[in-house]
Amino acid sequence: MKKQCKSLLALLAFCMGTAWAAPSAQEILAASDAVRNPDFSFGLTNTLIEYRKGQQTDTNTLAIYSKADASSGQFRSLVRFVAPARDTNKLMLYSGKDLWFFDPSSKASIRLSPQQRLLGQASNGDVVTVNLAKDYGAQLAGEEDTQDGERKTRHCYKLALSAQTPDVSYPRIDIWIDTGNHQPIKARYYADSGQLLKTAYFRHYQRQLGQERPTETVIIDGLDPTWVTVMRFTDWTRREVPDAWLQRDYLPRFKPE
Amino acid sequence: MRLVLPTRWRQRRLSMGALGALAVALAFPAAAQSGDIDALLLADAPAAPTVAARDWQLFSELAAGQVHTLLGRDRDNQRVSLDLQIDHSLAPGWRAVLADRLDVSWPPQVGQEHPINTLKEAWVGWQASDTQAVDLGRINARFGVATGYSPTDYFRTGSIRSVVSVDPGSLKKNRQGAFMLRSQAVWDQGALTALFSPRLAAQPSSTPFALNEGATNASNRWLLAWSQRLNDQFNPQWLLYGEERQAPQTGFNLATLINDSTVAFAEWSGGRSRSQLAQALDLPEDRSFHQRLSAGATWTAASKLSLTLEYSRNNAALSAPAWRALQNSASIGYAMYRNWTITAQEMATRNMYAVYAHWPDALVPHLELNAMVRANAADHSQLHWLELRYHWSQIDLAMQWQGSKGSARSEFGAVPHAWELSVRKYF
Repeated sequence: MKKQCKSLLALLAFCMGTAWAAPSAQEILAASDAVRNPDFSFGLTNTLIEYRKGQQTDTNTLAIYSKADASSGQFRSLVRFVAPARDTNKLMLYSGKDLWFFDPSSKASIRLSPQQRLLGQASNGDVVTVNLAKDYGAQLAGEEDTQDGERKTRHCYKLALSAQTPDVSYPRIDIWIDTGNHQPIKARYYADSGQLLKTAYFRHYQRQLGQERPTETVIIDGLDPTWVTVMRFTDWTRREVPDAWLQRDYLPRFKPE
Repeated sequence: MRLVLPTRWRQRRLSMGALGALAVALAFPAAAQSGDIDALLLADAPAAPTVAARDWQLFSELAAGQVHTLLGRDRDNQRVSLDLQIDHSLAPGWRAVLADRLDVSWPPQVGQEHPINTLKEAWVGWQASDTQAVDLGRINARFGVATGYSPTDYFRTGSIRSVVSVDPGSLKKNRQGAFMLRSQAVWDQGALTALFSPRLAAQPSSTPFALNEGATNASNRWLLAWSQRLNDQFNPQWLLYGEERQAPQTGFNLATLINDSTVAFAEWSGGRSRSQLAQALDLPEDRSFHQRLSAGATWTAASKLSLTLEYSRNNAALSAPAWRALQNSASIGYAMYRNWTITAQEMATRNMYAVYAHWPDALVPHLELNAMVRANAADHSQLHWLELRYHWSQIDLAMQWQGSKGSARSEFGAVPHAWELSVRKYF
């Protein structure tokens, strides 16, 4: 009887342990990626509005077509400039550090370095989607309450991310992810030196392409908090993005719809 | 009078200050986020309606400036330009592309006619699938990765009809394509392009609204271009170009990332040909192997300033002694050679160095700075160009200045000093 009781307790402990096993930090990060990014190719419109010292100073509209690379799992994107008028129909191909810019008026396809930003505050990597879990190693730094982008208190995992590949824009990121639904709430991006570069809030969750996703990202400059960029995502569409589109030689030929 | 506290008191005061700050942080954790909250409140502003994509771009430009001629006189210039670009879907798989520019100049750029119309592109394309396409019409087929001198840009000869700036970017945008049939096949990691451009006329036309096919289609030409992406770093392109009565030329393009802020590029073309002097003066001469090269790197600072250093080499151009001899000769050979190199957009001598700068948001947001210095290694002449351009949402205000250094018969010394103020309105 005593032996049976021990076995029962051991089984109970095993079952409880299995049922309550906390997800790893990397799994939390991957789940948060899945909230931001559909697991199929898609298109959306990204409207960037830049503010300095409380005044709107710039606006850009981009049509973005994204597809996860079959081998790396990372997204590759084709970005078409919609507005302002001077940039209409210029293109940017984004595939990690393989970056190309195409100007239809000069027919020039120019290779860019990651440092060559085409927009104000946002880096090239900010405007397209990325799967953080593919490029970063995550460690659980704790759980804490934090305010989300709509000033509501959310209970979050705080993850410390460190780059596992040189193909990323930021070497270190702290990200807060809701413990209940794995929605990313905010992230802080740091330079190698530890200097805060940017803070991003992921907010205005709406049902898009099958689940609740953030439809707005607010980026705040690390040095100058009055320098703010709002990225609004609209026109979410599930669509085919052929691999042939995602290369330099297709840029002069790209004509969606 | 400054009060100096004993060390023990100062330490105590610091400790109390640190404790106070800690207490504030513990009591008001949101205080650390006050900047964030201000930013989020700012971002709460109502969203403007999303701008719809469109398939055209149109701008007009008004410009006024002054040229200091080689004769020592100042001449006022005015210009009005209209630039239209349309890329329209006619039906699934079918598209029509039209790009046209009209420049009206006072005084006229050439001859007596004020307007010069440049039909840059007019073609119809049929895309049977995502991987195959055929295009027919006037097409600006441009190849090459260099910023300035571009040896594999084989269809640049005779393409410039109206010069509004010495800026290489402007020269690449404001040019007419050649009439051709072009087909392209693309696959996941590469592409093959084949094109044929027929001879349509023998002489260029200076009539204001002429198609000017004599400038772009004076001989039968063809080209094959093959690109293959090897990995994230290397995506080379090989070219084979042929022209009636000329030996085939081979070409190669490569741009690769050195680090997060630097891109290196190399562009090479080689093949048997007569020297440029023999072609310009129509001299009988045996063909020999000539090479052309442009190589360099673009480095970008955190401030967005990009600097490009480019070295160009052309073995078919004149050597330094031959150039000096031609400069000093009294024959019309000098003028014929200069005209030929300008039409063909070729280097006059064998070696050239250039620095290009591009700085968006230079010191203040929306102010763009562009600059260029080119130096001829044989006669040490230099070409300088500077542009300051301020962007509003639909209007650009630009100030350009060009200057040169060198003797009147050097490659760049003949370029007059000039400035121009222009306003561009996008519709």
